[in-house]
Amino acid sequence: MFGTQRAGNDYLASTMEFEYGVTAWWTSEFYLDGQSTFNDSTIFTGFRFENRFRPLMREHWINPVIYLEYENTSDADKTMIEVVGTDNEADYAPPNSVLRQTISREMEGKLILSSDWRGWNISENFITEKNLGHEPWEFGYAIGASRPLRLAATPRLCNFCRENFLAGAEVYGGLGTSKAFSLANTSHYVAAIVGWQIPSGATFRLSPGWGLNGNSHNFILRWGLSYEIDGFGHRVRSWFR
Amino acid sequence: MKLFPGLLLIFVLSASIAAAQNWAHDSRGILLAIARAPIMDRDRANPYEGQRNAILAGKKLFLQHCAECHGADARGRGKSANLHMSDVQDATPGELEWLLRNGNLTRRMPSWSGLPEQRRWQIVAYIKSLR
Repeated sequence: MFGTQRAGNDYLASTMEFEYGVTAWWTSEFYLDGQSTFNDSTIFTGFRFENRFRPLMREHWINPVIYLEYENTSDADKTMIEVVGTDNEADYAPPNSVLRQTISREMEGKLILSSDWRGWNISENFITEKNLGHEPWEFGYAIGASRPLRLAATPRLCNFCRENFLAGAEVYGGLGTSKAFSLANTSHYVAAIVGWQIPSGATFRLSPGWGLNGNSHNFILRWGLSYEIDGFGHRVRSWFR
Repeated sequence: MKLFPGLLLIFVLSASIAAAQNWAHDSRGILLAIARAPIMDRDRANPYEGQRNAILAGKKLFLQHCAECHGADARGRGKSANLHMSDVQDATPGELEWLLRNGNLTRRMPSWSGLPEQRRWQIVAYIKSLR
């Protein structure tokens, strides 16, 4: 992602995510984070390990997913995978040499409520994060909706058909801490989402976002490329036969 | 900090147990899953039934999403169900759409509720055309 920074240097931050479907109701992910701040340096900022569970075995009007994450990142981490507590733009202003000195070990939980309605996917995330170093609980939210540009598929294989694109929007931000649960001193964003699913299996996502108050970055641009390796588990098991 | 190695150990143990408990979605498994479809879903008609373009689109979707487990010829791969078998072909379109929407999570078949309903019906049209 790219982020603008007042009273500091703009930056690029990246996350490399490895996701594995342990079962049909449990996926596990491992992230490696890094960032490059213009006129400063490029550094590795930490890792995250998360698991997502579907507690209900059938589809319902609202489908919950429970998300548990352990993260070991420095304060120089600028990936903004989520916004919680009183996270704000000023936190990112100091140089990397200062930010990287503080390492945070945190547990994070999310309740993801997802619904599919007439082609729309609507998702609400309630986020709580706890720094294991005796910091208060932090809270955040994310709400989004997206829809493919065409619901039914066409018979032909094509890269640029409308069915391969989705569009949507999301809002996300912090909700303060357990000591001060409020919108004061928090940052909030609104973002557009565009997705392009290429028939070869890759998916490209682009999400420009804009800060909604003075605590937020003016502009952030997220993009990502994901690729699914078919039968990964089968291939690994075959190495041991 | 010894928390992360501990979490990793718990993960490996839990994942091993969960993976071992994944029953194959074989013929018996798919029959049991289909039998759980509610009556109101069983009787739903496929709006694309018999439509050539829908069957071709369903085939394309099948190759993109389903062939990994069920094989490009839909005859099953490993322990995955053969979709030509009578348990599947005798199921109503509504039962198959319900199965696609809900998946069979305890038997490793994921839910395809993220696919628009129209595309699920197109896949059902293709599966029924295999008979």
